[in-house]
Amino acid sequence: MIDVKNLSKSFGDHMVLDNLSEHIYPGEKVVIIGPSGSGKSTFLRCLNLLETPTTGVITFDGDEITNPKVDINRIRQKMGMGFQHVNLFNNMTIRKNITLAPVQTGLMTKDEANEEATRLLQRVDLLEKADAYPSQLSGGQKQRIAIVRALAMKPKVMLFDEPTSALDPEMVGEVLQVMRELANDGMTMAVVTHEMGFAREVGTRILFMDGGKILEQNTPQEFFAHPQEQRTIDFLKSVL
Amino acid sequence: MENYLLWQELMRDTATMDQVSWWQEFYVYFYQAFIEGDRWMQYLRGVGTTLVVTAMALVLGIVLGVLVAMVRTAHDQQRAGKHNPILGFFNGICKVYVTVIRGTPMMVQLLIMGFVIFSSSRSYTMIGALTLGINSGAYVAEIIRGGLMSLDPGQMEAGRSLGLSYGKTMRFIVIPQAFKAILPSLGNEFIILLKDTSLITVIGGKELVHAAQSIYGRTYGQMFPLIGVACVYLVLVMIFTWLVGILERRLRQSDRR
Ligand SMILES: Nc1ncnc2c1ncn2[C@@H]1O[C@H](COP(=O)(O)OP(=O)(O)OP(=O)(O)O)[C@@H](O)[C@H]1O
Ligand SMILES: [Mg+2]
Repeated sequence: MIDVKNLSKSFGDHMVLDNLSEHIYPGEKVVIIGPSGSGKSTFLRCLNLLETPTTGVITFDGDEITNPKVDINRIRQKMGMGFQHVNLFNNMTIRKNITLAPVQTGLMTKDEANEEATRLLQRVDLLEKADAYPSQLSGGQKQRIAIVRALAMKPKVMLFDEPTSALDPEMVGEVLQVMRELANDGMTMAVVTHEMGFAREVGTRILFMDGGKILEQNTPQEFFAHPQEQRTIDFLKSVL
Repeated sequence: MENYLLWQELMRDTATMDQVSWWQEFYVYFYQAFIEGDRWMQYLRGVGTTLVVTAMALVLGIVLGVLVAMVRTAHDQQRAGKHNPILGFFNGICKVYVTVIRGTPMMVQLLIMGFVIFSSSRSYTMIGALTLGINSGAYVAEIIRGGLMSLDPGQMEAGRSLGLSYGKTMRFIVIPQAFKAILPSLGNEFIILLKDTSLITVIGGKELVHAAQSIYGRTYGQMFPLIGVACVYLVLVMIFTWLVGILERRLRQSDRR
């Protein structure tokens, strides 16, 4: 579904992604882990071109998105993203946060979007917050809203960059629960996270990144039971 | 009225001067400054001009400021490696404009516009409004640009990640939030603008200070016309501050907790 070929990304002369190739298949839940600064966020952000790759070719659903001629807005409508810092639109109610993009991109009429928002809010049990503003919500509630906001665009794949690492510990569970349900519904997902329990339980494949490369990958069972590389072993020791 | 004429007569002569008590003197000066020959009408016309000039400069300043800020922000937010040469060209012009305007005194700009560029024109008030607007635009541009840049880039990213275009993300997400953030500075800029309209007297603009000057040019009593004018500015600024405060409170509703 997403094909990455020889992707490199440099900031100035600092090479952050080093000739990386990978393929994400439909229905997969790819979990990306690795030490801080290894390029996980940069990799994820290249997938929907929030960062422009220095070199390399990324293809999504048959469209070569690294081609400058491609309409990136149309591509991004099909790729949802969840951020560490949530980024709800602070100037809008929760309902408006959810309906803005579907209406403005012409995906839905206003009524359809409102109906969809109601359905999504019920799903995460936050319908009573529809007319509240983001500043009135807890961190966990905001992150759940941010996820359904992305879902309102009916994306084919969801990218998550550490959606729980800015949250208070007691709110992590509710967000992971939403992501778990999303995974069970068959969504294709790429998740950067430090939640090893989640990686083991929900992931279908673990990528371990270090120094801008994917150093090792495996199924969760194999990965956690029999890590191959010394760097992976050291990393797992430090986080488990 | 008869009293006024009598006291004024007494005050003319130093011999009879001390027959006039201080409040009678006060009355005479006050009468001269504001009432005699319906002078209050002159102030009123002056205030009218001041407000019209402020309004025109305000509109021009906002239009210029928004345009310049849009060009400069769009230029700075281009994706790395994707440089639009047309945008680069306009960005250069905008930079020169802002630098020149902010680097020279308002008074000098007025004199140059009045006596050099439009030296043959007689519509001093218009030239004044134009100059003030151009001046204000540079400051407004920097205020707006600061507001746009200071907003968490995550807001723009979230909008773009949903497939919204740059323009729509700006319009629905970035600009409304930036506007709220810069409203106090904008209000401040407009108060400065209102008071700076007094400077256009140097090129012959007929606003409030001009009215005061032409009155004390006849009566030789400077105190009352000048203090009167100061009070008018003070009241105008207070009204304006109050209006901005109302707007701020209304925009702040999304922050309630
Ligand atoms: N916009 C940028 N400009 C310059 N350098 C950057 C930029 N974004 C990231 N980097 C650098 O790229 C490297 C990789 O960053 P990245 O955010 O991808 O790491 P990460 O694996 O997500 O780390 P973390 O676990 O801390 O989130 C870091 O050294 C970082 O300093
Ligand atoms: Mg990161």
